[in-house]
Amino acid sequence: MIKTILQFIMLYVVLTLLQVVCNHICIFGVAIPIVYIYFIIRLPINLSVNWAMTLAFLMGLTIDVFSNTQGMNALACVIAAALRRPVFSLYFAREDDLPNPIPSIQTLGIGIYIKYLLSMVLVFCFLIFAIQAFTLHNLQLTLLRIVASTILSTLLIFGIDSLDTKREKRL
Amino acid sequence: MKNLINFIIKYFSWFVFIFYVAISCMLLFRNNPYQHHVYLTSANSICSAVYGTINNVTSYFHLHEINEDLHNRNAMLEMEVINLRNELESVKLMLPDTTTIAGTNHDFEFILAHVISNSISQPQNYITINRGSADGIAPEMGVVDQNGVVGIVNVVGPHSARVISLLNPMFRLSCKVKGSNFFGSLVWDGKDARHALLEEMPRHVKFEKGDTIVTSGYSSVFPEGLIVGTIVEQLKDMNDNFFSLRVALSTDFTQLSTVRAIKNNRQAELQQLEEEKASGKEAKK
Repeated sequence: MIKTILQFIMLYVVLTLLQVVCNHICIFGVAIPIVYIYFIIRLPINLSVNWAMTLAFLMGLTIDVFSNTQGMNALACVIAAALRRPVFSLYFAREDDLPNPIPSIQTLGIGIYIKYLLSMVLVFCFLIFAIQAFTLHNLQLTLLRIVASTILSTLLIFGIDSLDTKREKRL
Repeated sequence: MKNLINFIIKYFSWFVFIFYVAISCMLLFRNNPYQHHVYLTSANSICSAVYGTINNVTSYFHLHEINEDLHNRNAMLEMEVINLRNELESVKLMLPDTTTIAGTNHDFEFILAHVISNSISQPQNYITINRGSADGIAPEMGVVDQNGVVGIVNVVGPHSARVISLLNPMFRLSCKVKGSNFFGSLVWDGKDARHALLEEMPRHVKFEKGDTIVTSGYSSVFPEGLIVGTIVEQLKDMNDNFFSLRVALSTDFTQLSTVRAIKNNRQAELQQLEEEKASGKEAKK
C-alpha cells in the first residue's frame, strides 16, 4: 500500500517536471503534448471518485501554477477524473475480475488499454482546448488542435508507459 | 433531517465535484491578472527554482543569435554616441556658457534580469524572470530587451517576478509612429508570436509599410521612443473612424534570454501628482 502511494508521489513529481519541459513544445503551432494526464489514467480504478477528483485537482493546480493558467488545467483535470470510471466501464465491464486495480497493459490487455488511454486523452484535450478557446470563434483551429494534441500526447504517454512497464519487469 | 443526511451521503461525490469545479472556475474567471496571488503564479519560490534549473541548461541554445543581436545593437549605440558627442561639441562652441546644458537627469534606470520561463503558444502569455523585490523589482515596471519592448512586471516574489508578455491581450501599450504624433494602443490578437495590432489610429493619416513604431511615453512605465516594431500592413477596423495597423514586433519572443526592467525614478512623484489632481477634482465637486 505504502509502496503504491510512494510510486504515485514519484509519478506526480516526474510528470510535473516533464510537463513543465513539454510546455515549451508546440509542433506546427497546433500540437501541444499533455503528459500529466497519465497520472489520472494510472490511478487505481477502484479508488473512490472523491479521492480521484481531489488528486486530479491538485495535479491540475500544480500545472496551472507552473504555466500561469489559473484554474484551466485544474478544471479539466477534475472533469476528466469524474469521467474516468464511465469511460473505463465502456471497455471493461467486469471491474472485480482485475488482478491489479492499476490500469496497465498487463492488467487490461493491450487492446482495451489503448482504447481507454486514447479516449481519456481525447476527452482531456477536448476539455483543455474548449476551455482555452471558450468562445469557439475559431472552431476549425480548435478542432485541429484537439486532434493533433491527442495524437501527440497519446504517443508520448505510450512511450512513458513502455518505460514504466520495462522497469517493472526488471524488478 | 435523516432524509437530508441520506441525500448528502448519496450524492456526496457530486458535492465534491461541484466544489472543485467551483474553485477552478473562480480561479479561471477572475480575469484581472493584477489580482493573482504570488503563490498561484510562476513567481513563487518552487517554480522559480525549477525554472532556474531548466534555464541553466537551455540558456546555451540560442547564444549565437543573441550574441549577434548584441553586437549589432552595440555598434548602433556606439555610432549614436559618436554622433551625439560631435553634436554636443558643436553646440558647446556656439554657446558662451555651458552650464545651461550640463545638468543631466537620470529618470530611468535599468535592472538586468534573465528570463527563466516564457510561453508563446497560450492565449495569455506570461514570462518569469529571476529577479524579484530583493533586487528592486516592483509591480508595473516596464521590461525591455536589446531589440524592443517585452512586457510589464505584474506579480513580484522575493527572488523572481512574473511579467505580462506583450503577447497577452490583457496588456495594451500606448505607441506612436516614429516621427509623427499620432498614437494608438498596441494589443496582441492571439494569432502568432511575431505580430500584433496597433489600434485606434486616426483614419486620415497615411502610413508607409516599414515605418517604425515606438512607445509614446504617455505612461510613466516606458520612456518615450523605445522601438516596438515595424508596420506590415494596414487593416480596416470595425469602427469606421479609426483603422488598425499590423505590426511586426521587433522583439523575438521565441528567443528571450536577458531582459532589463526599467525603474522610473520619477514614477512615485508622477503618481502622487496624479492622485492629488484626482482628489482635487473630487474636492471641487
